[in-house]
Amino acid sequence: MTIKRLTLFLGAAAVLAGCQTVGPDKSRDRGVDAKHLSNLVAGVWVDPNGCDHWIIDDGLEGYLSERKQPDGSPVCSGAAPPNVAAGPFKGGSEIADTL
Amino acid sequence: MAKLNFNAVPFVMAVLGAVALLLTGAAAVQAQGTGAPTVVGERYEPTIWIDPDGCEHWVMDDGAEGYMSPHTRRDGTPVCHRGSICGIMPTDQLFATDRHAVTSSGRARLQGFFRQANARAFLIHGHTDSRASDEYNMQLSIRRANAVARVAQSVGASVVDVRGFGERMPRASNATAHGMAQNRRVEITCLR
Repeated sequence: MTIKRLTLFLGAAAVLAGCQTVGPDKSRDRGVDAKHLSNLVAGVWVDPNGCDHWIIDDGLEGYLSERKQPDGSPVCSGAAPPNVAAGPFKGGSEIADTL
Repeated sequence: MAKLNFNAVPFVMAVLGAVALLLTGAAAVQAQGTGAPTVVGERYEPTIWIDPDGCEHWVMDDGAEGYMSPHTRRDGTPVCHRGSICGIMPTDQLFATDRHAVTSSGRARLQGFFRQANARAFLIHGHTDSRASDEYNMQLSIRRANAVARVAQSVGASVVDVRGFGERMPRASNATAHGMAQNRRVEITCLR
């Protein structure tokens, strides 16, 4: 990759990331891939102990959060083997997963 | 990605540094409480994302990074919407008082429920009202949850977890007969 192309690529990445200043309200994805964050699409990632986490690969941002039973304990459902992510967790963004 | 020209590396590092500076360039703000020590920080106001189980998570996007954490009450229980618990079985209709053998009508009802629930797996949590001792109620709720789990397994349903909470997680007040009847229950969570 030449220097010029790399610079262009990084510049594009900065624009995609929404380089304009983000105020206190962090509830939206801004820029090309704009949407409200309530619309994210998750899959399940299973940790080395066999317990489930919601995983979302949203183009430039990644999210991970625990799946919980009603009493607060973890859900360890066997949805996938340990260290495997399954489901439509890359389905919520049109941006190719280059980074 | 194409191979990097070795000579370009210092330049690339400089560009990356500049991008990082741009992305983190937001000004810090000071939050001042009355009489409290001044906290130097930046305001991060989240929104809510609801997972496929119906439970809430705090979520934020500050431009380049995303952040997420479960929305829990101070007692550690998650904040979930009605959708997460797909069946509340009143135990009066499944068991005789103080017993944990499922009645034949209760068994038929549970089998029907598990066959048509369209879930990949189930969590089964037993609860009681507040009569009798806490220890007795813990044991009774666990035995009843296990009995319901055996019915689930008898029709090929996958049970991920079975727990009993005794009288410790009431749905309603134990001061009235109606409230106590609501508290005598087995809650089934459907995992899809």
